[in-house]
Amino acid sequence: MKWTADLEHFPYPFKGSTYRYSNNSIPMITPISVEITPDYKNEMLLKRNLLTHHPDRCYQSLPHTKTAQWEIVELVIDHLAAHYPNEFTIEKQNSTWIFSNKLLDEKVEFVFGDLQSLPCEPLAFISHHVQEDLILMMQRDDDLYLDAGQLCFPANWSLAFNIGMKFKNIHHPIPGFKEEGLDDRILQFLLRLEAGNPWERKNWSLMAGDRLDTSLETFDQWGQLRKQVTKENAGKLVHIRVEVQKLFRLSQTNNILFTIHTHLLSLEQLTAIPEWLQQFYDILSKLPPHIVEYKGISLYKNAVLKYLEKQLERVKAT
Amino acid sequence: MNSEALFINGKRKYIFCGDDQGLKLLSSVMEKVIEEGLIHERFLLSDRKMPLLEDFLRSQNMGTFLYLAIPFSELQRFRTAIEDIGYSDEEVQYIGYGEKIISLFCCRCHEINKTKHEQKRLFCQGCGLDLEVSDHYSDLHDAFLGYVAKL
Repeated sequence: MKWTADLEHFPYPFKGSTYRYSNNSIPMITPISVEITPDYKNEMLLKRNLLTHHPDRCYQSLPHTKTAQWEIVELVIDHLAAHYPNEFTIEKQNSTWIFSNKLLDEKVEFVFGDLQSLPCEPLAFISHHVQEDLILMMQRDDDLYLDAGQLCFPANWSLAFNIGMKFKNIHHPIPGFKEEGLDDRILQFLLRLEAGNPWERKNWSLMAGDRLDTSLETFDQWGQLRKQVTKENAGKLVHIRVEVQKLFRLSQTNNILFTIHTHLLSLEQLTAIPEWLQQFYDILSKLPPHIVEYKGISLYKNAVLKYLEKQLERVKAT
Repeated sequence: MNSEALFINGKRKYIFCGDDQGLKLLSSVMEKVIEEGLIHERFLLSDRKMPLLEDFLRSQNMGTFLYLAIPFSELQRFRTAIEDIGYSDEEVQYIGYGEKIISLFCCRCHEINKTKHEQKRLFCQGCGLDLEVSDHYSDLHDAFLGYVAKL
């Protein structure tokens, strides 16, 4: 599937001319956990297909998460109905809720809090209506645990492996993350997150190809494209992948909802804007080797740099 | 999970638990405890009967420190039971001996493979993928993550 990301909705992630790991979270101006973009119908088709055919890969939950899952359903539905009233509505008659998704022409009636009234778990249910991946981090003993999640578009990690894991352990594979003390700083930041004051951040990586579903489980397939990148095809083949990550404290259960909206843009589109081209070239050329390696760029970084240099020459000549 | 026991000072009571071979591994710490006149007890796991040990551990007071020494292959089963009783990582030292077998979670098919600790690569028994052993560990799966070894 070819993703034709439009520049208007693309969350350009860079500031300055260098990039290092940091807690780059900022308070959200419009506190909304999910966003509907023009790709909605395509992405929902892909997501539902993945959830149907790869349930273990795309959905995991531990038994004690049900109350928090209902709280996520309430938060997300309220956001959809408030921010996209023409596309989504909710009628609440005591515990009986009627949710309408007009984009997909679907209406679901259920009893809030009653698991039997839904065809699947509450988190799985609401996941079928939003483009974001939804992760529940439960807070206990001064730590955060990944106790439930729906993940169809991961950036090369496995929900099935990480389920039940503590925050620091989840991030163990990131080189330098622990050594630089970032794991503890970010954990402390998250533990202090307040209800009603959500935060967001952007995370980026490069990928060869244009798949949204870059799971660790399928890396042996999509990773092959990394070997095919040349300075001639990099513009079309290589994509910048940006995750808009949002963090909401759930006020009733005191857990955290972490939503991830993934966007892809080809280098050809990115470099069509001269300021972005120069900034991205500066950042990539100065990226430390351990970040290059972790972001999976090592095999084709030189080809991308040569492509960018050619584009810079083109811009200077015009 | 270590191969050698270390003396931890200042505990209310010390329990040395293991099979014959395991208790030998605890002997130097046991001598130290005896030498200092500290309260201690020895529990021989002659047939490794879990319920007897569980009853014994449940009857102990707060401040008790446990040394458990048994083969690596049995250690995780005992650790789970001891944690379920309520002992934390700070109250127990787990000492293993013999061949150390680890579990490896296949990144592609989620099969849990058993392999020797020293082995760095293996083919998944579930899907045949060539896996590289990583140091990313899951308590829930009691397994390390196996990545694609070669693209």
